[in-house]
Amino acid sequence: MKTSEIYNSATHVWLVLGRDSNKSNHIIDTNQYLIKSTDEAIILDPGGIELFSPMLASILKHVTLEQVTTLFASHQDPDIISSLGLWDKALPQATLHAPWLWEGFIRHFGMDNITYQPIKDEGGEIKIGKATLRFVPAHYLHSSGNFNVYDPKARILMSGDIGAALEKGEPPMFVEDFASHVKYMEYFHRRWMPSNRAKNDWISRVRELDIDIMAPQHGRIFKGEMVQEFLEWFSRLDVGCAYK
Amino acid sequence: MTRNDEAAQAVRNFVRVANIVANLDTILIEAKNLSLTAKNARVVALRAGDSAFGFKPITNFIDEFSDLTIKITKQISQLSSQLFSIALAVVRCSDFQQHLNNCAKSSDNKAISHLQREVNLELMKTIKQLESVITYLESYFEDIQKQMRSAEYIAVTSRVEASNAGEFSESLQSVSDFITGAAKKIKSAINDNLKEINQLRGALR
Repeated sequence: MKTSEIYNSATHVWLVLGRDSNKSNHIIDTNQYLIKSTDEAIILDPGGIELFSPMLASILKHVTLEQVTTLFASHQDPDIISSLGLWDKALPQATLHAPWLWEGFIRHFGMDNITYQPIKDEGGEIKIGKATLRFVPAHYLHSSGNFNVYDPKARILMSGDIGAALEKGEPPMFVEDFASHVKYMEYFHRRWMPSNRAKNDWISRVRELDIDIMAPQHGRIFKGEMVQEFLEWFSRLDVGCAYK
Repeated sequence: MTRNDEAAQAVRNFVRVANIVANLDTILIEAKNLSLTAKNARVVALRAGDSAFGFKPITNFIDEFSDLTIKITKQISQLSSQLFSIALAVVRCSDFQQHLNNCAKSSDNKAISHLQREVNLELMKTIKQLESVITYLESYFEDIQKQMRSAEYIAVTSRVEASNAGEFSESLQSVSDFITGAAKKIKSAINDNLKEINQLRGALR
């Protein structure tokens, strides 16, 4: 599994973990994020069962198990959090922040030790060491209970499935040319995202944030002007295409 | 046995537990039917009067062993939910162990070997719990088996008594047949479960 640093300051570090070359071709590639600050760390969307071993081996290169105090699940999907039953054994003292809507569902992945901290629909805020992270509502994009994570200091928005791209092989970590990247995103957004109203609501909320990096859970990361290009493109996109 | 095999074995054991629990239903249904049959037989014997005099104590016996079988089966049902959760814990521990072993192939971090030691201990502890519950379960099944031996004996005796009950002979004969059939079904379910327990015990060694 590849690890890249996407932000580093005196207070905290953002790492993206993904592009696991040993991963089966039958499962979708995912980006996991680790934020480390002083003696604490959080894993954002820790991933599926299949990725637990490479994830554990990779994060231990950067933090100790004791430092990983917190997990975040943007929504309930298996590629987001089906590894929970295994993390529950590795990190019995940890707290999982996830949408309140999905608590009874996510617990099906097996959770005897970890504490579930439900996130209200309006979102919330947590501190990881010296870093402050905001849970930004992204309901119906695509899940009915869904959050992004915004770091105002690093100006990073972990956008979950928004901005996701389905690209084969091991593509580079960052979007280099927006126009040529659209083909990997379009169907995903049109088919997985159900509501134009929810999409527009999210865009107007996110436009108010100061964002340098938009980091989705699949595919390449958007940096600098690519973020605004994405928002423009997304605002024009008609989603919910399976509805006839 | 490789770690992958161990994880697959844990799942197979879980399926064995599921088979045991599924067979409990058969035992409980048949035991309840036996209890109903005893009540019906008592009414027939009352109607038959003196000609079925010998049948009355038999209905009491049927009542007794069917009640006891129901009671034991209910105790087993309570134990089986415990058995399920322990078997599930074994599956989860084995799964976690397997993932840690994969992880150890690409990392020599001490935290991983520490987790490996911890999960090995937890797995051993959980397997011991499973063995202990299985021993209880086995003794309960053996108790029911004894009851079914009595049931078979009573079925033979009741057949003799039924033949002396004149016009009620046929009704009482059918009671005897039913006892024989139910005891046979319960014994078969118990035998299946004892076989599963033996295999489960063998797999845990």
